[in-house]
Amino acid sequence: MATTSETKKAPSGFFAKVIHHSTEVESPASKIYVYEAPVRFWHWMNALCIVALVVTGYLIGKPLPSIGGEASDHFLFGNIRLIHFAAGQLLIVLLVYRIVWAFFGNEHSHQLFLPPFWSRKWWGEVWHEVRWYSFLEKTPKKYIGHNPLAQLAMFTVFLLPLLNLVATGGALYAEGEGIDSYWYMAFGWVFSVYGDSFNVHTVHRLSMWVIVCFTMIHTYLAIREDIMSRQSLVSTMISGWRYFKDDKE
Amino acid sequence: MASNESFYDVFRQQGISRRSFNKFCSITAASLGLGPAFAPRIAHAMETKRRTPVIWLNGLECTCCSESFIRSSHPLVSDMVLSMLSLDYSEVLMAAAGHQAEAALQETLRDNYGEYILAVEGNPPLNEDGMFCIVGGRPFLEQLQEMAAGAKAVIAWGSCASNGCVQAAKPNPTQATPIHKVIRDKPIIKIPGCPPIAEVMTGVVTYMLTFGEIPPLDRLGRPKMFYGQRIHDKCYRRPHFDAGQFAEAWDDENSRKGYCLYKMGCRGPTTYNACSTVRWNDGVSFPIQSGHGCIGCSEENFWDNGPFYERLAKINTPFFVESDADRIGLGAVAVVGTAIAAHTAASALQRARSNSNAAKSE
Amino acid sequence: MITETPNGFSLDDSGQRIVVDPVTRIEGHLRIEVNIDENNVIRNAVSTGTMWRGLEVILKGRDPRDAWAFTQRICGVCTGTHALTSVRTVEDALNIQIPENANTIRNIMQMALYTHDHLVHFYHLHALDWVDVVSSLSADPKATSELAQSISDWPKSSPGYFRDLQTRLKKFVESGQLGLFRNGYWGNPAYKLPPEANLMAVAHYLEALDFQKEIVKIHTVFGGKNPHPNWLVGGVPCPINVADTGAVGAINIERLNLVKRIIDESRQFVEQVYLPDLMAIASFYKDWTYGGGLSSTNVLSYGDIPDNANDYSAGNLLLPRGAIINGNLNEVHDVDLRNPEEIQEFVSHSWYNYPNQDAGLHPWDGVTDPHFELGPNTRGTRTNIESIDESARYSWIKSPRWNGNAMEVGPLARYIIGYASNNPEFKEPVEKVLTDLNLPVSALFSTLGRTAARGLECAWAAEKMQYFYNKLITNIRNGDLATANVSLWEPHTWPHEAKGVGFTEAPRGALGHWIHIKDKRIENYQAVVPTTWNAGPRDAQGNIGAYEAALLNTPVANAEQPLEILRTIHSFDPCLACSTH
Ligand code: HEM
Ligand code: HEM
Ligand code: NFV
Ligand code: SF4
Ligand code: SF4
Ligand code: F3S
Ligand SMILES: [Mg+2]
Repeated sequence: MATTSETKKAPSGFFAKVIHHSTEVESPASKIYVYEAPVRFWHWMNALCIVALVVTGYLIGKPLPSIGGEASDHFLFGNIRLIHFAAGQLLIVLLVYRIVWAFFGNEHSHQLFLPPFWSRKWWGEVWHEVRWYSFLEKTPKKYIGHNPLAQLAMFTVFLLPLLNLVATGGALYAEGEGIDSYWYMAFGWVFSVYGDSFNVHTVHRLSMWVIVCFTMIHTYLAIREDIMSRQSLVSTMISGWRYFKDDKE
Repeated sequence: MASNESFYDVFRQQGISRRSFNKFCSITAASLGLGPAFAPRIAHAMETKRRTPVIWLNGLECTCCSESFIRSSHPLVSDMVLSMLSLDYSEVLMAAAGHQAEAALQETLRDNYGEYILAVEGNPPLNEDGMFCIVGGRPFLEQLQEMAAGAKAVIAWGSCASNGCVQAAKPNPTQATPIHKVIRDKPIIKIPGCPPIAEVMTGVVTYMLTFGEIPPLDRLGRPKMFYGQRIHDKCYRRPHFDAGQFAEAWDDENSRKGYCLYKMGCRGPTTYNACSTVRWNDGVSFPIQSGHGCIGCSEENFWDNGPFYERLAKINTPFFVESDADRIGLGAVAVVGTAIAAHTAASALQRARSNSNAAKSE
Repeated sequence: MITETPNGFSLDDSGQRIVVDPVTRIEGHLRIEVNIDENNVIRNAVSTGTMWRGLEVILKGRDPRDAWAFTQRICGVCTGTHALTSVRTVEDALNIQIPENANTIRNIMQMALYTHDHLVHFYHLHALDWVDVVSSLSADPKATSELAQSISDWPKSSPGYFRDLQTRLKKFVESGQLGLFRNGYWGNPAYKLPPEANLMAVAHYLEALDFQKEIVKIHTVFGGKNPHPNWLVGGVPCPINVADTGAVGAINIERLNLVKRIIDESRQFVEQVYLPDLMAIASFYKDWTYGGGLSSTNVLSYGDIPDNANDYSAGNLLLPRGAIINGNLNEVHDVDLRNPEEIQEFVSHSWYNYPNQDAGLHPWDGVTDPHFELGPNTRGTRTNIESIDESARYSWIKSPRWNGNAMEVGPLARYIIGYASNNPEFKEPVEKVLTDLNLPVSALFSTLGRTAARGLECAWAAEKMQYFYNKLITNIRNGDLATANVSLWEPHTWPHEAKGVGFTEAPRGALGHWIHIKDKRIENYQAVVPTTWNAGPRDAQGNIGAYEAALLNTPVANAEQPLEILRTIHSFDPCLACSTH
């Protein structure tokens, strides 16, 4: 049990941090501190919000069978929407928090936001990961942070759809708040992008399905990698520490 | 001697006394943020003002905006055309025809340049050199642009003039075009709706006559006072919506009880209009009150957002014919789920094989 | 050059050409050109529909259940009739049976449309062809009052009432801002009414303007708004709940009372204002016998107003059905909208392309493919037409034909067919009018006959509202609340392919829609509309349509003010948005 992450010095300065992407490890220490607490906290809170948003969002578009009695005695649909709006607003706050943290956290904290699309090497590694998942590579490479394919996926099928959900969700929420509200000032422009409110609903819902698909694959791969690859994953997102299983000391 | 009929005359004709006229003027002064000293000036202006000339043009349309206009109860449309404004051109109602009618336009350009309101029902087609709509042997587009040049302000009546409406629905064979795309240098007040509510139409006009300015408009150029909220925001069935009580089929128990029409495709949540507040035809009803969901008739694109009876938009692309967001989404989920299952099996197999290899080599 | 048309008219385009464009006080954009001879008599007439939107093209690929909303936007003046035709068309294709109440409510709505549309047409679109507004300023209010009271019990008839109105009109005229009345043909010698009759008519012009908005509230109750109320394939969208919890959100007793009040007031207005005015005005124009056109030879009606639900056979329709050919009133022919030989549309002189330009197409095989092109004898340019070349294509309207014949449709056609079928509801009022005015039956075939038939029909429609109102109440009292049949609502219950036809008698005449549904979508949709029948251009054989025929042989008092053209064209109540769609 020797070295920790201190042995690998992270470059300093924001720009350098950005350029310095997914760190492939040649001979890593067997245990490295990767995900700082704010990232982990955000990850699980965000996951929780999304689960709530998907369930309530689905029901907003396709409501449950009607209930009887006096309207004044029930607030079922109202509550479903309330949960959605609360979770949606929490998600926005968390997202802002996560973005801010990307400026202050370690090098893995901003991987999510800026995959190095300009790097040929990185694309080569994406390809290597694709081959690994297609059973064409015998051994996966080891990464301290996200593997390049995961990073690409997280950017394109998680972060972008999420930002779209926030924009369209915020716009829909702004309609309820009224066209003179701050919400409308912040999000009213979204209607011009998608044409009208009806289209915004459609786009919001379609984006939800993208996130659902991402979540399924993401969860599956996280568990699978934990079992099949040479590094820890699920526990990393819990404890922050990454273990490299086949490194014999 | 030609004595101009003024606002004061109008008030008198409608049986309003000098006292209430003065009161009206001071209230107006106050509501415009002017001191009481301004009341006499407003009174003077109203006593001497000529009736504002209005030129009403018709392009590609169905005339239901004119029809709606004459349904107005307050003010009565007879008072509007006799006492409040001077409807100097309206193909639907005017006595003159042919070149006598066209002369009225030329006279207005000559005598009232910069003074008249241009009200446009319908829109110009651009295909076939504009000859999908011909007036006086020439494309309507030319007439529209000529008359827009001298207008003080332009009103876009209805969804046709504001958004294109049904003739601009896919594939828009005539290239029917909302008027703001061909009139770019004038303030345009959009009054969408297919048609708009009568009292909204006359309300906008009387606002302009009374306060001498165009009403505050929203992001899309619609008067905030009538288009600032959605049908859904003021719908009287909203408690049923919040409770989760919906009509599930036409004429079922729930529709008879007046439950929310959301599941029947109601577009109230995405439609800006005054139907649920002003209501239609002197407040008698509005679509939802009479059991049919809103079809979103004041929204851009509403014709292409069908079918009107589904909450979720139909999505037709080369890949997804006859689909909607949920069908596409659930389809994707199924594909992903299957792929995961297959991948799990393959992974397990590979692992078993490499384990047994490892066992052999030991 | 003089041409004889196969349908018996003689055209001579050698005289002075007069152009009326825009024709006003109509729906939409219409251009009329005529040639007058040296005696100012019309010898050639050309009717050009000058707008097209392409609804039939736009409908392709859409959900058949939405079609009513699209087709309703064909016209906001006869609002509702296209929607009703459309839901019937889809129901016919999919074999959907509607509940009795739905049929009754639809009939009430259709009759409300008739009452409204005919009334507005008479006073606001047509009256100024007969009534000189300026002349009314010199009327004696007292004499006007006497005239009014001599013809009707309508209470608004005191001398003071007419005096106030006259003062208002005078001020209006003196203001120098004549508004709607600017540049009218005032003082034209063809105006025959005495000043008192003019003043009375102007008073009723304004009263009718204020009253018409009441009639349409019937649409508002059942369809949520007017213009353009809502409809439903399989029934009507308004549920009935007269007494149970939630009744306030449905058709309840308060709504029914509102409808009842409007029916009463409508009947009163038509009987005490419209009909007496019509008779009074007609009595001054008895010798103006022009404008018959096709009405004395070829008229067509599909029939409408099914008494019982789902039975569209002639015996169950309260408005008569049939065709009369060559003026033979002794034989009313059957009409079959499904027969590929009977109803066909031609485009030889229209701005459309057909696979075979001169052959007719039955609407189920109909094609709408626009193609704008002017003939070589056009005067002016492509975008500035001075006079049109009717030997080539000259209209956005197609030419519908029944067994090859050009036909007139509309209230007059319906009354002639009702008369010829010895239907007392139509024959007796016609006979009464003719006796009261001391006119022969042949007087029916004229501009005035058309205008009179519309008035009679307005009264008939108002009364039928009452009939169906009673029927609705009886049915509800018997416990039948059903308003919609949803068994075939979901597209998966539909056949792979289906064809249907639906029809109504629109206020302006016979209206049919034809649909072809394939894979739950509209494969083809064709509408053949009343004003298409009446205003359409010549066909390949050279037969002229109803507008062109009606204008022929009419003398024009002042060629600069072709009031007579307006009279006859207005008597058809043109709707150009309808005709071209
Ligand atoms: C992962 C993120 C989200 C998902 C999966 C999601 C999902 C959905 C879905 C499926 C709907 C129903 C759309 C329809 O069929 O009309 C919906 C509606 C809505 N969402 Fe979201 N949403 C998310 C984020 C947000 C956010 C951040 C907000 C902002 C506060 C928000 C606000 C709304 C609003 C206002 C509606 C409309 C509710 C209504 O019309 O009654 N959503 N959402
Ligand atoms: C709604 C559900 C979820 C979403 C949207 C989500 C999203 C994300 C995102 C965006 C990251 C990158 C974190 C960063 O760089 O800041 C991440 C990482 C991770 N997530 Fe999730 N997650 C979800 C659920 C889960 C679940 C259920 C698990 C475990 C079973 C899981 C395990 C992980 C792991 C192990 C990582 C680290 C991957 C690595 O080190 O490369 N996630 N997740
Ligand atoms: N259908 C229809 Fe029409 C026509 N033509 C009817 O009465 O007016 Ni717009
Ligand atoms: S907006 Fe609608 S109602 Fe108005 S003219 Fe256009 S189609 Fe007709
Ligand atoms: S009926 Fe329509 S507008 Fe009214 S509450 Fe329901 S969804 Fe909203
Ligand atoms: S359909 Fe139109 S009339 Fe009002 S309720 Fe909806 S905006
Ligand atoms: Mg057609």
